[in-house]
Amino acid sequence: MKAKILVLVIEDMPDNAELARKVLTARGYEVILAYDAESGLKTAKEQHPDIILLDLGLPDYDGQTLAGWLRDEPLLTHTPIVAVTAWPQETARQMVESYGCNGYISKPINVANFADQIAAFLKPPSASK
Amino acid sequence: MSLTSTDDSIRLVPASRFTIEQLTALYNKTRVDYMVPMPMNVARLADYLHLYDIDLDHSFVAMQGEEMLGVAMLGVRQQRAWITRLGVLPTTRRHGAGHKLVKGLMSAADSLGLPLIMLEVIKNNVPAHQLFLKLGFRETGELLVLRRSPRIPPPDPVVADAQRLDRTDSLVLVGHDRGMQPWTNQSESLTNAQEVSGIRLTLADGSRGWLVYQRQKFLLTRFAFKTERGAPLTVGHALLTHLHSQYPRLDTQIENLQVGDPHLPAFYDMGYMESFRRIEMWRLANSG
Repeated sequence: MKAKILVLVIEDMPDNAELARKVLTARGYEVILAYDAESGLKTAKEQHPDIILLDLGLPDYDGQTLAGWLRDEPLLTHTPIVAVTAWPQETARQMVESYGCNGYISKPINVANFADQIAAFLKPPSASK
Repeated sequence: MSLTSTDDSIRLVPASRFTIEQLTALYNKTRVDYMVPMPMNVARLADYLHLYDIDLDHSFVAMQGEEMLGVAMLGVRQQRAWITRLGVLPTTRRHGAGHKLVKGLMSAADSLGLPLIMLEVIKNNVPAHQLFLKLGFRETGELLVLRRSPRIPPPDPVVADAQRLDRTDSLVLVGHDRGMQPWTNQSESLTNAQEVSGIRLTLADGSRGWLVYQRQKFLLTRFAFKTERGAPLTVGHALLTHLHSQYPRLDTQIENLQVGDPHLPAFYDMGYMESFRRIEMWRLANSG
């Protein structure tokens, strides 16, 4: 039997992190949380999540810096990294492309389709066409 | 002594009466719904207080009963003050706490004999902008926060006579003849920072200029620069090629570059992106 998909949510606001956990757990994902960049990097290196959701505003180092660190980890090179941000769309698009993220989801998250948005990033490239 | 309001229950308490942990937690809570929340941990706030000469005795927390509603801080330098880190909890906005905090800082600056108060407000933060206008602040410029990813391939450095500047030489340069800079980029900010160094270039056509920066563990930041001779675009481009070829794996963030700065196209050519904008505002004593 296939193991659950593991989602790492790196988000400094506990309420936002818990909301993401609740929504994704209800859809059958396993969710782990980290609240800053250093613990997020450590958790990612130890747990090898299937996908990483990354808040761009973190209290120690910002999300762009962390995305760069994650991409430099050999075992995480191909792990989807999805920024979750309140930035305007064009700024978010430029920022995530430049820092090696696979895409972004706008804040506040839409609870109704959040899990579907995550699922889309988990599809292999051939399946997403 | 606490400043006590006479017209409602909100009172101002000097920020120095709180721990840095309390101030950090409060500040973060006030920004949760910002487009650019810029949260901080304790170490980051402590560094901020040092870098920008924040005077906690003349900074305030707005209280109602035992509840902390908001915070605002005052930077203090020679003949000028700076309002920063202003924030009110989302659930308690529009009840006068922000107004009271800013008035408290204005009174504090006045009591210190500082004739100029500077601040920046994030562009499109309409309530804060309106509050500052109402209190007599006037717009003096629009500022850019720029970012450059370390994933961008390093450029080839432009051929030039390059001189590395140590901290001492760098600080001498930033202290001279740059006009009034935004608070974050003033010479005091760089003097307070660690790991400051610079580059000075002379190009084949005689163009000349310098760039001073702070190198953090993962980030280049706090740029100060000047074209001493020649075209700013040419000199700026040359300086950035040397900088980024020297540090090809470092992220870069620069704050509060004037939108009209003639060096700006050189930054965009080198892959810098605009993160967001701020409006700079000043208020001179007795200006209304």
